[in-house]
Amino acid sequence: MSNQNVTEAENSHQGNAAEAVAGIDPDGLSALEAVATSHEASTGAADHSEGGISEHLDHAVTVREVFQIPVGNSTIPITETVVVSWVIMAVLIIVAKIFTKKLETFPGKVQNFIEAVVDGINSLCKDILGHHWKHFSAYFGTVILFLGIANTIALLEIPWLKPPTKNINVTAALAIMTILLVLGSQIRFKKVSGMIKSWFEPNPIMFPFHLMDYIIRPLSLCLRLFGNIFGAFIMMELVIIASQKLLLPPIFSLYFDIFDGLLQAFVFVFLSMLYVGEAIE
Amino acid sequence: MSFTALGAAIAVLTGLGAGIGIGIATGKATEAVARQPEAANQITKTLILGMALSEATAIYGLVVSILIMFVVKG
Repeated sequence: MSNQNVTEAENSHQGNAAEAVAGIDPDGLSALEAVATSHEASTGAADHSEGGISEHLDHAVTVREVFQIPVGNSTIPITETVVVSWVIMAVLIIVAKIFTKKLETFPGKVQNFIEAVVDGINSLCKDILGHHWKHFSAYFGTVILFLGIANTIALLEIPWLKPPTKNINVTAALAIMTILLVLGSQIRFKKVSGMIKSWFEPNPIMFPFHLMDYIIRPLSLCLRLFGNIFGAFIMMELVIIASQKLLLPPIFSLYFDIFDGLLQAFVFVFLSMLYVGEAIE
Repeated sequence: MSFTALGAAIAVLTGLGAGIGIGIATGKATEAVARQPEAANQITKTLILGMALSEATAIYGLVVSILIMFVVKG
């Protein structure tokens, strides 16, 4: 509640102090501090007091609702995470449409680059999945491109473009998709009988562990991606507060946004491939 | 608030194990590449896999401490 009011005060640039004071919860900051926070935030500088930083972080990690889609009696809330995901999807689709329009036998610079990316994904699939790679490379390519852009999108420095993977729901959905793919490919390539047989290999004692794999693997995939991106996001916020946007953020951003983001995108897809490869071998 | 922060700090100590583990793994990988430079590709892939798995413990600690900081809130 207090958070919302501080947000409003920040949004109106010359934050109306009286409004901010009225909205403060008794257990929150003292009214004076809150006014200072909202005022300082509106002038672009962060507050150095302890309460200021925690308020700032709280404000930064809150996922806000953008609009609602009415369905019958209830409504589906659409958060900014979903909107950013849609933007990334739209960009990916448009880029794919534009750059594959005129494919030529002797590729130009752009087509060369696109071919290199696709070829890299395909050869990674071939390495891990063997001769079934063709069924999976499209899906894994899509996921790695989406995650690669989603994890590094904070580089654009547009306030509402926060990495969607810092929301645990996104990574949970991706992890569930991976484990469904594992189950589906097991049934497709080994049939149900082969799948059940594989649970009792190398000996029946392993049965509960094989079942636990279906829960632990998506859980760790989900938490790994979420933890890394969320941790990096908070670190970047702290660096920005500490350095007052001078010099340090680009240096730290090299590690936290670019290196960590791309590495985690790769690791997510790599582990998914390993799980699928193990399921169909 | 102070005890919440303390709890979060203790939870994030799991990073210790991951740091040691990744350090050992990277050291061994360096040795392996020095001994057999032609296998560098395969070694790098295995290293990344191992790092991702051992890093998971640190991430669990981080997630728990984030939960303590932002959900429990003391």
